[in-house]
Amino acid sequence: MLDQIIKILSKYGYVYWNGFVGTLWISAVTVFFATIVGTLIAIARMSKLKIVNAILNVYIEVLRGTPILLQLYFFWIFLPKYMPFELSDLQCIIVALIVKASSYVAEIIRAGIQAVDIGQTEAALSLGLSKKNMMTKVILPQAIRNILPALGNEFITMIKQASLASTFFVAELTTSFRTVQSITFMAIPAIMIAGTIYLALTFTLSRLVGVFERRLQVYER
Amino acid sequence: MSVNGKKEMIRVENLEKAFGNLEVLKGITTSFYEGETVCIIGASGGGKSTFLRCLNLLEVPTGGKVIFEGTELTDPKCDIAKYRQRIGMVFQHFNVFPNMTCLQNITLAPTLEKKIPVPEANAKAEELLARVGLLDKKDEYPNKLSGGQKQRLAIVRALAMDPDVMLFDEPTSALDPEMVKEVLEVIKSLAASGMTTLIVTHEMGFAREVADRVIFFDEGIICEEGAPEQVLSNPQNERTRQFLSKVL
Repeated sequence: MLDQIIKILSKYGYVYWNGFVGTLWISAVTVFFATIVGTLIAIARMSKLKIVNAILNVYIEVLRGTPILLQLYFFWIFLPKYMPFELSDLQCIIVALIVKASSYVAEIIRAGIQAVDIGQTEAALSLGLSKKNMMTKVILPQAIRNILPALGNEFITMIKQASLASTFFVAELTTSFRTVQSITFMAIPAIMIAGTIYLALTFTLSRLVGVFERRLQVYER
Repeated sequence: MSVNGKKEMIRVENLEKAFGNLEVLKGITTSFYEGETVCIIGASGGGKSTFLRCLNLLEVPTGGKVIFEGTELTDPKCDIAKYRQRIGMVFQHFNVFPNMTCLQNITLAPTLEKKIPVPEANAKAEELLARVGLLDKKDEYPNKLSGGQKQRLAIVRALAMDPDVMLFDEPTSALDPEMVKEVLEVIKSLAASGMTTLIVTHEMGFAREVADRVIFFDEGIICEEGAPEQVLSNPQNERTRQFLSKVL
């Protein structure tokens, strides 16, 4: 087994490297934009406008209630057809992943914000802080402590979900495995290599999140 | 408008507040004057805290008006944040910001909303902390403070905005008994300094000592108000008598 793995790596290492870079790129872009979009949705959902709330509720319900693979197919078919500009498969998939992840991020952030004691909001308002300053200086810094562990999990999920892009032969790690397997017919070692790289990625990320969490522990309630 | 030469700070006209079908305030009309210290007493659920919270619109009244120094705060077009800067509030559960040091708790609002330069804000914060005996804690986070210390911090945090009026919502109800006094002393010296002070409290002895006027709330209306010795020692209203017989 080990010699097979070494053989594959020496010959097809670059395929895995490209896949690794692809996965890293897809998940980094997804994490970045999903966090921004998700935060905006979470804040918009706290708006008093009922119509905004209703639309966002539907958005979140639909995205959480349908399989992600189906969503990828949807965007992969829908976007090139109706967008006025050219879109590659990769771009369609990334858009789908961002949209999907943003709905989860929005829920995580909303829960984290709501878990901050209402007294903090009242104190900030009673001092005459603007809503924006209240949110950015008082509420969000405290909410991040509640949000971070769940958000870390979500980031890890995003890395793993990027593997679904292999269905569309977008260059990423699971596609690399499929490529190598179809050339070498050595399925198990090919899987083991991809799995190990995924594990290294997610493990590193979860450590990183852990470091951030401890950084934020300078104060306790 | 003024009475005995005192400026009217807050006027409340027929204030009503309902939560769904529950009417908490049923038409309150009263005024508070510059330099006055008013204690608001009454049974739980009588509407005292709701009343206080309506004054800076933390609760939005469902009827009536709140007029602060001539401006109607209950007007939907009113920029309430601007007026809240002039109405300090202290809460039962302190609500200090746990993610900031004591000094940052105090300087946050002045630097952000009044654009006071940081060195100036810091100097004033230190002065305020010294006044309540917390200067040595300035770089600590509030989790290192006792309840009484947190409440004193909350008081000076509000004072840093140079408010014209201070509202205290049961400031000692969440404190261990041995810490009540240190907080009451701070409020007392504040009232003595001429600050217009409204205090919702269960501390009858304190009310008798510091109040210029005591208001007794029951079931959403003002049942009785007057000088402390009159309301607390010689109440005219039957419900005031019942309440006092239970707490004194």
